[in-house]
Amino acid sequence: MNASRPGMVEPQILPKDRLPELIRILQEQGYQVVAPVEEGSVLAMRPVSDAGEIACGIEDTQAPGHYRILDGPAPTYFDNVVGPDGPKRYFFPPHLPLFSFSVDDDGFVLEQVAPEPPRLAFLGVRPCDLSAIRVQDRVFGHEDNGQVFRCESETYYMRAREAALIIVVNCTRPGGSCFCGSWGTGPEATEGFDLSLTELRGSFLVRAGSSSGVSVLDALSTEPATEAERELAYLKVLRAREHMGRVLKTDGLGELLRNNPEHQIWQEIGDRCLGCGNCTMVCPTCFCSTVTDSNDLVTGNVTRTREWESCFTHQFSYVTSGPVRASISSRYRHWLRHKLSGWWEQFDMSGCVGCGRCLTWCPVAIDWTQDIAQLQREVESREAQRVSSTLEATS
Amino acid sequence: MSAQVAFDRAEPICGMDTWMPVPARIESIIDENFNTHTFALKLLDDELARRYRWAPGQFNMLYLPGVGEAAISICSDPENGKELLHTIRIAGSVTSGLKKLGPGGIVGLRGPFGRGWPMEEVEGRDVVLVAGGIGLAPLRPVVYSLLHHRERVRRLVLLYGSRSPEECLYANEIREWYDDPRIDVLVTVDNATGDWAGPVGVVTKLLARLKLDSSNSVVMVCGPRILNRVAAWQFLQSHVPADRVYVSLERNMNCGFGRCGHCQYGSKFVCKDGPVFPFSEIASIFGKEEV
Repeated sequence: MNASRPGMVEPQILPKDRLPELIRILQEQGYQVVAPVEEGSVLAMRPVSDAGEIACGIEDTQAPGHYRILDGPAPTYFDNVVGPDGPKRYFFPPHLPLFSFSVDDDGFVLEQVAPEPPRLAFLGVRPCDLSAIRVQDRVFGHEDNGQVFRCESETYYMRAREAALIIVVNCTRPGGSCFCGSWGTGPEATEGFDLSLTELRGSFLVRAGSSSGVSVLDALSTEPATEAERELAYLKVLRAREHMGRVLKTDGLGELLRNNPEHQIWQEIGDRCLGCGNCTMVCPTCFCSTVTDSNDLVTGNVTRTREWESCFTHQFSYVTSGPVRASISSRYRHWLRHKLSGWWEQFDMSGCVGCGRCLTWCPVAIDWTQDIAQLQREVESREAQRVSSTLEATS
Repeated sequence: MSAQVAFDRAEPICGMDTWMPVPARIESIIDENFNTHTFALKLLDDELARRYRWAPGQFNMLYLPGVGEAAISICSDPENGKELLHTIRIAGSVTSGLKKLGPGGIVGLRGPFGRGWPMEEVEGRDVVLVAGGIGLAPLRPVVYSLLHHRERVRRLVLLYGSRSPEECLYANEIREWYDDPRIDVLVTVDNATGDWAGPVGVVTKLLARLKLDSSNSVVMVCGPRILNRVAAWQFLQSHVPADRVYVSLERNMNCGFGRCGHCQYGSKFVCKDGPVFPFSEIASIFGKEEV
């Protein structure tokens, strides 16, 4: 099992009682391990020092406006899905001091630079979040007309990404807000990971997706999975695919939203939306930020800090004459059209990965997949009417 | 700071790799009207000052250390290498702080950012510039560029609307241009105060006076949202092709290079895809409220 190319490595079996060993190997390779833990009343991706800290035996129930974790019937690790935050905060921190400097007669003197990102191994990244990481890779790493802008915030992102090891977990029990199946971003990850796990009864089926993953597997010295174990893993993922909580018809979605900026659904959603910005704070692809200055009154140093920003705030689009998007409905419209339509024009990909967080964490339970479905039905029936009246006219 | 290198886009000299602005000194502040002032800046680093390039219509992020930044268009004469001018209306904490700092003060600068005016597109055509209020600032470099190379274009027309004669920007220059046979200048005011004897009313009313060769004109518009809207539509109605009607848009800018998200206009990042857009690129959202 010393193949250096990940594709050459057969799926392996890692018994659950050897999870501590996996953690130890990752630590020996210089990683700090980040895994799902129970924090307050949610599951969150947090640094752990041993396997005992990883949330076990916990199930979740999710629906628009609803999230609960509860003790499950079995000591499984991943019979749940994403909590409010994912790996995003470790690559694109919610609060990142970019640098500090002082001002003298000759200009600015750099006093402190951005922190060095830690070397993290993420254990338990979900396929939707892995897709979201790949979305942000393009947002923060892409070139414009051959020009690469590499400001402090982006170099932090790139370095954090290069340093990271990602162990993805294929989902076997989808949540009530999940619709990765509609985007093809889950429930199984097919690329972009170092290792992938599928949870079986007493073990994990492990696949390597990179040479870093292979080196971890090598150190673990695992046994190849049997045909039955591989079949079981396949069936568990298949079952998850068939039990998605939500469905979104993604065909032609970009065009549909581009063509309907003034449809009544925006007002209807806007009437319900509180403008709280929860959806943007939990979204794994949202990348908006604001850089602000703060002053140390003792040293006189100025620190420039980048913080997450939400397009639902009043100040987000503020110009001298007021906010460009004054109404809440226009902000929701901007956010959702950006995800489903504008993102394609900006980055040639969808800005939504179907994780469902924006539904779950909406305090008024806005389920935009329903609103979009309604829009799709209306446009389709309008089109059908148009076709039939054309036929009548020509017959 | 000499002539532009790209027809509509020069690369940022200072802000391309950093949120750290380069230091500049306020050399002088010229009062344009009661709350609008033209700041002459000089980069402290001579080497950077020598290498600095920009194109008409581009903007800089001007920085007041410890307070924040404001996106301000560059309004220098592009062929006057000594000049780095920004006309600023005092509106918020950054702009009022810049004014308070006064001549000699150290500020920061990132830029230039964005896509400027179509300075190649004008070749051999009539050029109509339409400005309202402080919207004249980003068009000032276009006026100078074309006056320096008058042979490049046929007619050169500037239509300018101001709230009152006293609020007119660059009043002395406008008077000079008025007497200059190479450029047709029409100024209108909302309120005719003092001894004003010129046109009164919105700037778009001046369009009717133009004998436009619509198939062979390039139009550049910069003003308040309503002016951009009405002017662009009037030119389109006069059959100027949609890809030759250009508008410069105002949005909230934070980063300047399309990463912070604030300035989005539909799927456009105004800071890097604009601020200058041909109507044809934004036709589907232009005039829609709160996009």
